Amino acid sequence: MKVVLNISRFNPEVDQQRYFQEFSVSVEGHHTVLDAMLQAWRQEPGLSFRRSCRSTICGSCAVSINGTPGLACQTLIRDAAGADGRVILEPLPHFRQLKDLVVDLEPFFESLKAVLPWVVTREDYSGRMAPEVSRQLEVPATCILCGVCDAAMDAPGEAAPAALVKGLRLTLDPRDALGEHRLALMKVPPDILKLFIKNLPDRCPKGIAVQGIKL
Amino acid sequence: MIMHEVLIVGGGLAGLMAALSAAEKADVAVLSKLYPTRSHSGAAQGGFNAVMGEEDSVEAHIFDTVKGSDYLGDQDAIEVLCSDGPEVILELERLGVPWTRSPGGGIAQRPLGGAGFPRACFAADFSGHVVLHILYEQALRRRIKIYPEWRLIELLVEDGRVAGVLAYDLARAKTEVIRSKVVVLATGGYGRAFAKTTNAIANTGDGMAIAYRAGAVLADMEFVQFHPTTLYGTNILISEAARGEGGYLRNAGGTRFMADYAPQKMELAPRDLVSRAIFREIKEGRGYEGKYVHLDLTHLGEALVAERLPQVRDLSMRYAGVDPAVAPMPIEPAQHYSMGGVRTGVWGESSLPGLLAAGEVANVSVHGANRLGGNSLLETVVFGRRAGRRAAELAGKEPWPVLSKTTAARSLESWSSMFSDGKQIVQEDSTFLIREAATSIMTSQVGVFRVGDELADAVEKLKELKKRYKELDPPREAQPFNYALMEYLETGYILDLCEIIAGGALRRTESRGAHYRLDYPRRDDLNWLGHTLARRGENGPEFSSGPVKITRYQPQERGY
Ligand SMILES: Cc1cc2nc3c(=O)[nH]c(=O)nc-3n(C[C@H](O)[C@H](O)[C@H](O)COP(=O)(O)OP(=O)(O)OC[C@H]3O[C@@H](n4cnc5c(N)ncnc54)[C@H](O)[C@@H]3O)c2cc1C
Ligand code: SF4
Ligand code: FES
Repeated sequence: MKVVLNISRFNPEVDQQRYFQEFSVSVEGHHTVLDAMLQAWRQEPGLSFRRSCRSTICGSCAVSINGTPGLACQTLIRDAAGADGRVILEPLPHFRQLKDLVVDLEPFFESLKAVLPWVVTREDYSGRMAPEVSRQLEVPATCILCGVCDAAMDAPGEAAPAALVKGLRLTLDPRDALGEHRLALMKVPPDILKLFIKNLPDRCPKGIAVQGIKL
Repeated sequence: MIMHEVLIVGGGLAGLMAALSAAEKADVAVLSKLYPTRSHSGAAQGGFNAVMGEEDSVEAHIFDTVKGSDYLGDQDAIEVLCSDGPEVILELERLGVPWTRSPGGGIAQRPLGGAGFPRACFAADFSGHVVLHILYEQALRRRIKIYPEWRLIELLVEDGRVAGVLAYDLARAKTEVIRSKVVVLATGGYGRAFAKTTNAIANTGDGMAIAYRAGAVLADMEFVQFHPTTLYGTNILISEAARGEGGYLRNAGGTRFMADYAPQKMELAPRDLVSRAIFREIKEGRGYEGKYVHLDLTHLGEALVAERLPQVRDLSMRYAGVDPAVAPMPIEPAQHYSMGGVRTGVWGESSLPGLLAAGEVANVSVHGANRLGGNSLLETVVFGRRAGRRAAELAGKEPWPVLSKTTAARSLESWSSMFSDGKQIVQEDSTFLIREAATSIMTSQVGVFRVGDELADAVEKLKELKKRYKELDPPREAQPFNYALMEYLETGYILDLCEIIAGGALRRTESRGAHYRLDYPRRDDLNWLGHTLARRGENGPEFSSGPVKITRYQPQERGY
């Protein structure tokens, strides 16, 4: 099928402001938006966007697709292109555009530091963990740090959404010495946190559903 | 000028593990072309092999690995791999890895191919991902300096010793010279040298090619692993865990054809055997549409598929439109792993003083002619840790190596001359065309089945492509995030590596592990029980042979 990608362009070396450029590509319906972008890149090798795994695990390809933040390699072109066969691609909102679809990720990765993003191993940890407990950890541990939640949701407290997801995983970890004190550390009122946890699966491309947090 | 005692190149599992262990004693920085959490290690699904239970033994793990390697693995390195394994897994567990647990609360283990025992520690089918993120958290904790989206361009060699690197910062579109006492390469594999591969777009073998250009010895490059089960068309990996959990391979007649090839191990025979079996089925007309076979999980039940293989299910539904809990998945083999790489000793030392290597970029050699599932992740953490330790030790006792102004200037000059020597621009040609031609040659002529005249033809064609590449005009625009320039550089790395892989495959007139010659279908220990060593020469690679370290297990016939 023929699809028109309308891509936000900006090169800080020459452009005063961003503009849109159209690329006409021909793809199969089951191809992804990333496949289409790679075709556009062949037409215009100066076009910049991040990519690597092409299988929704590395978190590189987060962009705004028709106004909604998502992963280009996860979104099938037939779902993205409307009846008019057009897809609008912009850099992630809430992030600074550095070049075309590439945004500044430094503040994003910095923001993780606010939640002490590592397990502070308890002295008395026995090395054993019930399968149900480890299963609960597994779900938030699938976070790929793509930044989509930061782009799609407001920070519910002092910690940015992705940092909060990390903080919640650590709260659930029986190895962690801080445990539930982490909730206080993150400074989010319980009902707001509840709402955040409820909304996350719909916004997060990995559909992360945090369970087991006692509020 | 930027200076770090130990400079780790690569932020995947091997690089982060090396950085963490070196940081205990030295000033360390990590340079990585991707943000570390974007590294391809994160795509690994199946698990890390290590002996954790009483019924299994390190001895058995060693033997399985030696046999799996078709006796080309160095047995001293394999002993290290298997003996250090359990300790490293427990270390990772203390750092916070959410391993999947057995009912008793211990670390659960699943069977992967070629193993005599369920030996892979895993976290559902996100095993590489969770460990990568835990190591990244630890790197934050230790405040390790990270240069994200910086590329290694050249190793700077002074008097035969690596004294630093030339790096390129993609965001600022600027080069920098970084001085170091020790460089640890952890840049992963070259999957993208093949048209059909499970590997990420970033896996272009940069480190191997750059080390080779600097004079380091590469080994066993002709040994390329083809994974039997990748989604037909996209070649996205369907983990061996799918067969480990009980999946069946079926041909168009519905028959579990592995019974004809490996009656005992069936679907869990080593990858080289299973890939050849699938191609033979397809070639002899028993494939679907003459192109693929089925991987069938439907008998496992939805609950098990959902719990143990959630990612496999998601990938198959999205990219093939098939829910494996209710219908079989269409699969074909594709390039997956590079057994060859920068030749190192068991502490990561390469043939170039000042340069260490670990992980998929290295050839230590624990995989020999064929890697077993679950051994590569283990290799990254075991040998990453050792390389980090050795690097810190060297940094502690060695003075700063001299890096003369001339060496740094020469390197910078050759970088800038690339953009300005007034070469003829061949308008019709492009990096894309050259790269596509090279990678298709690799998949069709240097793939699962190889034969002398096709290999010779591939070597010739690759030479032609290199000539065309030299005529190209690099995308010279000084702009941030210049991916066209990166593609240009990566194509150069790929062409160098293709030449070595195809040349090595042509030279080795026997079949061993993943290297299968239709014209020499037998293993030939008399002439070929040795490593292929490749050095850069005047006119392409120069090959020689090196001995295999055999400690306990003499080569035997390899039946499954
Ligand atoms: C889909 C898939 C599934 C797998 N599953 C398993 C499994 O279940 N079990 C198993 O044992 N093995 C598995 N493997 C193999 C295993 O995952 C890899 O061999 C291993 O993760 C490689 O790790 P690494 O640290 O060496 O390299 P990588 O994780 O690939 O990291 C390479 C790093 O080097 C950096 N880099 C590369 N070039 C440059 C440059 N020029 N300059 C600066 N930085 C650079 C990159 O940014 C990256 O950070 C799998 C492989 C694939 C493809
Ligand atoms: S929580 Fe989801 S959306 Fe947010 S960074 Fe992680 S994977 Fe991306
Ligand atoms: S390319 Fe890795 S998540 Fe899309």
